[in-house]
Amino acid sequence: MISMRCMVRISLVLGAAFIGAFAGVAAFADEATLRAKEEAAIKAALARVAPSVVRIETVGGLERVGRVLIGTGPTTGLVVSDDGYVVSSAFNFVQKPDSILVTLEDGSRHAARLVATDNSRMLVLLKVDVDQPLTVPEAAPKQELRPGQWALAVGRTFEPERPNVSVGIISALDRIWGKAVQTDAKVSPNNYGGPLGDIRGRVLGVLVPMSPTGTGEVAGVEWYDSGIGFAIPLEDVLHVLPKLVDGADLDSGLLGVSLTGVDLYSNPAVIAMARAKGPAYQAGFRAGDKIVEVDGKPVTRAAELKHALGPKYAGDTVRVVAERGDARVDRRVELVDQIEPYEAPFLGILPRRFASDAETPGLIVRYVYAGSPAAAAGIQPGDRIQSLASTEVADVDAAREVLLPLAPGETVKLEIRRGEQTLLLEAELARLPEALPGELPPARDSTPPAEGDMPPVGVVDVKVPEIANECFAYVPDGYDPRVAHGVVVWLHAPGGFKREELLARWQTHCDAHDFILLAPQSTDGAVWRPTDVRMVRRLLDKVCDDYNTDPSRIVVYGHQGGGALAYVFGFSQQDVVRAIAAVDTALPRMVRPPETDPLKPQAIFSTVATKTETSEAVSRGIEQLRTLKYPVTVLDVGEQARSLTPDEIAQLVRWFDTLDRL
Amino acid sequence: MSVRDRLNPSWCRFMPVLAAALLGACAIATVTGARAQAADRLTPVIDDVLPKIVKIYGAGGVRGLEPYQSGFVVSADGHILTVWSYVLDTDYITATIDDGRRFEAKLVSFDPRLELAVLKIDAADLSYFDLAASVPADEGTRVLAFSNLFGVATGDEAASVQHGVIAVTTRLDARRGTFETPYHGEVYVMDAMTNNPGAAGGALVNQNGELLGMLGKELRNAQNNLWLNYAVPIGELRSSVEAILEGKTPRAVDVPAEALPDNPADVAWLGLVLVPDVLERTPPFVDEVRSESLAEAADIRPDDLVVYVGDRLIHSCKNLVEELARTERNTEIRLVVMRGQELVEVVVAPNEAAESESE
Repeated sequence: MISMRCMVRISLVLGAAFIGAFAGVAAFADEATLRAKEEAAIKAALARVAPSVVRIETVGGLERVGRVLIGTGPTTGLVVSDDGYVVSSAFNFVQKPDSILVTLEDGSRHAARLVATDNSRMLVLLKVDVDQPLTVPEAAPKQELRPGQWALAVGRTFEPERPNVSVGIISALDRIWGKAVQTDAKVSPNNYGGPLGDIRGRVLGVLVPMSPTGTGEVAGVEWYDSGIGFAIPLEDVLHVLPKLVDGADLDSGLLGVSLTGVDLYSNPAVIAMARAKGPAYQAGFRAGDKIVEVDGKPVTRAAELKHALGPKYAGDTVRVVAERGDARVDRRVELVDQIEPYEAPFLGILPRRFASDAETPGLIVRYVYAGSPAAAAGIQPGDRIQSLASTEVADVDAAREVLLPLAPGETVKLEIRRGEQTLLLEAELARLPEALPGELPPARDSTPPAEGDMPPVGVVDVKVPEIANECFAYVPDGYDPRVAHGVVVWLHAPGGFKREELLARWQTHCDAHDFILLAPQSTDGAVWRPTDVRMVRRLLDKVCDDYNTDPSRIVVYGHQGGGALAYVFGFSQQDVVRAIAAVDTALPRMVRPPETDPLKPQAIFSTVATKTETSEAVSRGIEQLRTLKYPVTVLDVGEQARSLTPDEIAQLVRWFDTLDRL
Repeated sequence: MSVRDRLNPSWCRFMPVLAAALLGACAIATVTGARAQAADRLTPVIDDVLPKIVKIYGAGGVRGLEPYQSGFVVSADGHILTVWSYVLDTDYITATIDDGRRFEAKLVSFDPRLELAVLKIDAADLSYFDLAASVPADEGTRVLAFSNLFGVATGDEAASVQHGVIAVTTRLDARRGTFETPYHGEVYVMDAMTNNPGAAGGALVNQNGELLGMLGKELRNAQNNLWLNYAVPIGELRSSVEAILEGKTPRAVDVPAEALPDNPADVAWLGLVLVPDVLERTPPFVDEVRSESLAEAADIRPDDLVVYVGDRLIHSCKNLVEELARTERNTEIRLVVMRGQELVEVVVAPNEAAESESE
């Protein structure tokens, strides 16, 4: 096989000579020979790798995982040791089968057990007991991999005796944050778990579904057969094989920091928050540190940090260098597999709001939650909080920054200005409240009439180029461009809605609480599809561009199908949406809520009914969200699901009004 | 199945279409382009094959059914081989050959078991595929597929060409219930998105332009929900087509149903009690073995998991019941059970048991 390349090269040289002598005719003849030789090489490579490719069948387990229906057909594995260890794709075992059967190339069947799972690279290790040594494939050295070289994706799913092959090239190296090579050979359940071979019959990698954005066993399956496929380099698999053989599950390594900014590619890797129990914090890194180097490799953008950490496992140690002012912080950090979900602390106050041109007297308490840490400490409405945890706080944002890294249960010292008095108080922070608030005092003083140009108010049609969907916004008649307004993105229930009815229910609340109501129409006209998310986002962006909006009070509300899209939209647009309110809707199973992000907090409101078909699903979703440490406010609407009454809408809008709580 | 249907409900269906669209954009060599670049390496092969490819138009156009498909010439005097489908279910079938000439085509005969049909047009001296030539092909063989997929070629435009390799040769009946098709024989599964609407009846050739098979209708694999790109080897079709060309009556129209045993086996007869079948796919664990039963004689034990009946993998209690119903009582039945981590083969021998009973 090694000579194949030489042969091709020689025939090319010969071809060149012939062209000189006989021009076109010889060129065709040579092309035909070359094509025949390539075909022979493909077949030879397939024959060489095939003995290590085994067929896997499973019995029992789940029928559906998320929105992916799990097939019952055979899948593929790759022998990695002659004594019976086989790797495969975690996708093939996502249904958690009761039994695993492996058919070897010689047709013999064996029971297999699952030894360990690599949750970072989405692989599993199986063991079969064999009497005869198995054929172990030759691994292609990783440094020899080049984009453009032949790549054969091999499975054993159609026939036990014959491998199935897809031929392509290596499209790119270092994909999925450095974990995988990419190929345009067709990768699908027909060959997940099988090898990606080279033209010499050596194994480049193990085929897996993967997605640069998603995680989990079924992420990337939607790309099957698309010409975008991934394989984990076999060399990397063999590197961790001893650990897997010992039965150790492997996980991605986490540093435990959040970075500032949302754009990975334009922002430097500045730590916005180092989680108190995370390894970076323990090693001495703090908010504001700019990470500039990982394991000797320079990091100038956040994406490079992600790339450097992508291939790392929990338990790996990395050397991280950060700049803090003029100083360099150079530490070794042992990565961990899990950071406890972030839970925001709660002091128990609402801040007063001010028009943007008013002179801000600092952080003034608008409201004190009954039974809250603030109430226990004796804080009163009208108090001015001057400092928190020995840090001076000039406004709400400064206070938020101080509270951010603190956890419920921690104690903070406060310096309060009340009239002529200065008080030193202490409060033990609590969890965010989940009850609906009662009547609230106004958030701000009324403003003198605004002067100058005003954007349109009242019922406004919102138009964005290239988006044909009808969409209207209600902007309070007394809109003042100096006052930041919240936005309620209102997603209609299946079947659409009547504008007048909607206005009748929401108008007075929007006026009273400084909210803009945005009501887009789904593309379908009746039902929402996940593809509508982008459209809604553009309409929301348009409203935020045209009006003075308050980033802490942008919420999405929906009923039934609208609620489902509210979850999809809210979680996928975590950067802007601060609350999701879903009426008569369970958290859709296809939605994977992101980890709670201290910098992008989100609160959830859900109704529950006790005797409907969806009761159980609704409760399960709420439980899942609470496990992830989302604050979930629940409104019990009785036995049967229904829309909200006018009183309940009023309560909900008051809850929206409290999202800037501290 | 219309393009819109394909795009609609499931995202999984979306990707193959997208892939096909991408192929349409970059990988399909249209004749015009290919002919212009005479030095292209596959050009002579494509030039040789295209005159044999036919675009067929007939019934359809409602409920998203495409009123067109593909075919190819198999005799100098105008016989065309294509797939038997609703498109041909009309008195007005037209066939457009590569030079743009349109003919009214007559349905000569069809064979529903093989899903093939032979048409005839009133033409002479046509370029055609010789069905008698036998060309081997297997995994890794490079192929070209010619068809009017998605009906992109109109008027005198030539059919589309796609390239790829044979992924595997397999049988559509290898796994019962996997493919819903009357054809249960050998197929070439392709490593290319060849089986799109309108492509059925197209020609699959090797890189020398020799005919390997006919592209099949769209088919989904029920076991992993993937669309299958496949062609039926010409060897499977040859005798039926030759019979039709010789003017013989085609085979019986009725597809013979699978012969079920007169005396089917069942769980109770074996003396097995399975765990309660409460799930869609309850693993067939043995709950109890009746004393003095066939199962006991075969040493099947409680907590065994039945994984194979004969060579068939058993996924569920339902599956086991179905498989036994296809098995004759008066035969030796070989089962494989999983006992702990071990696979154990057990043989149920009803004859011996019957004899001992009669003693």
